[in-house]
Amino acid sequence: MDIKQEDRGTATVVSIVGSLDAMTSPQLTEFLNGQLAEGRANLIGDLAALEYTSSAGLRALLNATKEARQRGGDVRLAAVQPNVKKVFELSGFTSILKFYSDVPTAVASYKG
Amino acid sequence: MSDKLRITRAAQLETLAVFRDFIDAACQRRGIDSATCYDLKLAMDEACTNVITHGYAGMNPGSLILDLEFAPQQVVVTITDFGHPFEPYEPDAPDARAGLEDRDTGGFGLFFIYKTMDHVDYQTTEEGNRLILTKKLNWTVPA
Repeated sequence: MDIKQEDRGTATVVSIVGSLDAMTSPQLTEFLNGQLAEGRANLIGDLAALEYTSSAGLRALLNATKEARQRGGDVRLAAVQPNVKKVFELSGFTSILKFYSDVPTAVASYKG
Repeated sequence: MSDKLRITRAAQLETLAVFRDFIDAACQRRGIDSATCYDLKLAMDEACTNVITHGYAGMNPGSLILDLEFAPQQVVVTITDFGHPFEPYEPDAPDARAGLEDRDTGGFGLFFIYKTMDHVDYQTTEEGNRLILTKKLNWTVPA
């Protein structure tokens, strides 16, 4: 699993590449907590290249979303692959999280 | 006719990716669709994570054995471990009305196993604990 980060205006895009499981998700949690601690609360998870997640990855994203919202921000998810989206759907969290078809749309959602 | 495959690794978190790759390769060779393959990987991953983090708690990690059996109408995934036995149960569905603040973000492992598999069986024997996950196929595996 690889993580890349890029600031886009008021938002920060975090691209997650590869697989999230019990082995790799603590790395994501640490990374997202670091972003939040630095004051980047408007986060976008670019999941275009996330091929797989188990409940461990889901939990990492949900906990970061909770934390970001407490700081007045959010974690918005972009370009989620169908198999990964199904994991969110099974969990029942699709009504609570915000999904966007691509990164530019997610970036635009933080404007205005 | 059915065909069977086996892989054995140490019960540690690094094994999860190895087992997922093993399932991927087996599914690809048999032309099994990506959604079905994902379900098999997810159920296996959740079950093995439980064994690695809880089943072998306080013990030296032993072996984890993954068996795949492909039959025309179903795939059977069997996970054998030698740690503490844990009888799985089907948990309640998450409360769809609760907000993020009120929800527990954990405990989805067992829920995902029961949601993605058609049948879950568990046996504790002298040869280890065996979790048997069955996924029906809605088509026939090519011969």
